[in-house]
Amino acid sequence: MPLIETHELCKTYRLGEIEVPALRNISLRIEPGEFTALWGPSGSGKSTLLNLLGLIDTPSAGNIILNGRDTANMTDAARARLRNEGIGFIFQGFNLIPVLSALENVMLPLSIRGVSRTRAHCEADRRLAEVGLGKYTHHRPDQLSGGQRQRVAIARALVTNPLLIIADEPTANLDAATGLAVIEQMKALNHTLGVTFLFSTHDPRLLGHLQRIVRLSDGEILEDSMDALPNLSTTLPPSPTHTEGAAA
Amino acid sequence: MIALTLALRNLWKNRRRSLATLLAIGIGFAAVNLFAGYIANTYAGLRDSSIYGEGLGHLTIARKGYFANGSLQPERYILSPDDLTRLTRLLREDNRIEVVSPRLSASGLVSNGKLSTIFIAEGEDPALANRIWQHSNARFRLDPQKPAGGLVSKALAERLGVGPHGNLVTMASTLEGQINALDLDVLQVWDTGNAATNDKTLRLPLGYLQQLLDTEGASRVVVLLTPGSDADTLRSALQPRLRAAGFDMEIKTWVELSSYYRQVKRLFDLIFAFLFTIVFIVVLMSIINTLSMSVMERVREIGTLRALGMQRLAVIRIFATEGALLGIAGSLAGAVLTCTLIALIHFGHVTYTPPASSTPVPLSIAFLPGMLGITLVILAVIATLAACWPARRAARLEIVDALGHI
Repeated sequence: MPLIETHELCKTYRLGEIEVPALRNISLRIEPGEFTALWGPSGSGKSTLLNLLGLIDTPSAGNIILNGRDTANMTDAARARLRNEGIGFIFQGFNLIPVLSALENVMLPLSIRGVSRTRAHCEADRRLAEVGLGKYTHHRPDQLSGGQRQRVAIARALVTNPLLIIADEPTANLDAATGLAVIEQMKALNHTLGVTFLFSTHDPRLLGHLQRIVRLSDGEILEDSMDALPNLSTTLPPSPTHTEGAAA
Repeated sequence: MIALTLALRNLWKNRRRSLATLLAIGIGFAAVNLFAGYIANTYAGLRDSSIYGEGLGHLTIARKGYFANGSLQPERYILSPDDLTRLTRLLREDNRIEVVSPRLSASGLVSNGKLSTIFIAEGEDPALANRIWQHSNARFRLDPQKPAGGLVSKALAERLGVGPHGNLVTMASTLEGQINALDLDVLQVWDTGNAATNDKTLRLPLGYLQQLLDTEGASRVVVLLTPGSDADTLRSALQPRLRAAGFDMEIKTWVELSSYYRQVKRLFDLIFAFLFTIVFIVVLMSIINTLSMSVMERVREIGTLRALGMQRLAVIRIFATEGALLGIAGSLAGAVLTCTLIALIHFGHVTYTPPASSTPVPLSIAFLPGMLGITLVILAVIATLAACWPARRAARLEIVDALGHI
């Protein structure tokens, strides 16, 4: 059974009187344990697709089946529960809660679920150690570097043992070396834990680390290539000199 | 637990703004409680002054119709000596009654031989009147050994140029309509504390006034209750017993007879309601303003919490907790401020002259723990409810929009 299955997924935004299609008829299957990147230029629909698959936005048409469950008619509360229990998020801007320590940030999804403080503390401690931040548990986000913050975000995404981790441009705010290290860490976790990673990127430096690339353009899938690295030189845009959105 | 942690940390993070809100609540809290303490003391003072100083007692019993028409036709409502004996015996059977004092009222002219002016007089048994007065701070007394000795109010004595041991003449119509006059020995001069009565009041022995009005009876009976007894309860118990004994009587409580007390209470209650409404609005607006700013600044944080699976209600709970914490902390600060100011006023011996009063009195503010508790609960509830409005807005944000907020 695929972990994610979408049928004719569409998303249209309304700007005043004008309707702007962001996604057009996306049909996609992602199997458990995959390490998949959504590739495409800015405005191609990567983030919109991730938002829909992460259940933080609703499609205009089509449906999403997540781990065998049709999400179309789910209530807001049910979607929130499914996000908490089944999906981990890594954001481009890290989105750590500034008033909480690294440990408390990682404990957050478990606290939201109502897990006891002792268990949440223990689990968060373990996850922070896994991402190499065992010594930074009591540091606030503003006391950590960009790479460290993103690793806290990875630990937070992992803490609930989710089926799927969704990462929107996880390396966009990081320098090349740190970005690569973060991707390596994600890949290692994908390999050791078997957790499915789905992320968006347009950073060509990451190409050598990807298992599957879904190329999007103007809201449509142009190419879906499993182990397609050899062909990328012909299908991908030239390497940019800087990463898009890095200013944030 | 997470709501409390986030609320506390965010309040601390924005501590300057939190402090400003907290002070607004604290000052409002103190204003309400200081005024409540002031009026509680005023009510207690007026109550004692009416019951003991003015001599109204707790209950006044008179023939039916006396309170409406007694001043026009006093002879119709006179209680004969026999009536008074029976009535006194009946009332004394109730152990909640401490004093039963017959009374007679009169008005007329009082003269020093050169100057005459009007008076209103209360005639009462000296021994019984002194028993009532001893419950108050009053230092004046009638002398049972001096049947022609009375008390003269301060402004009246000044107008007539008399002091203690002076002599005056009182003149009034008897119940039959004849003019009568009697010599009066001034025993003491006293301040009624009320500008409206201080220039015309006499307190006289019952026998003196009976002689002046040419009667052996009294117009009513004043009843003083033992401490802790309730006037309304006793009135309800007395009505059927009086009726069964053949008395067609009317019973009024001191509150019903003291129009001054009722007027002051009505005015102060109105001012209190006005003040409380203002404090209510200030607290409401402060919390809404503070938390609206907080919501604006934390849109991304709210989006993140929602993306991580937090339910809308839990988001509301975070902001409601912040509101409640501000309300409780502000109220506690207000309680400390209230106690400090009460102590300062008490030890500073502050005095003031109330309206209609003839002399300055110490400004005294009662410490009301119950009122402090009630205000704390009300302000905490208001603060929590006020927080719900911005909190609802926060919870209704679309996650995608919130995450994209800069």
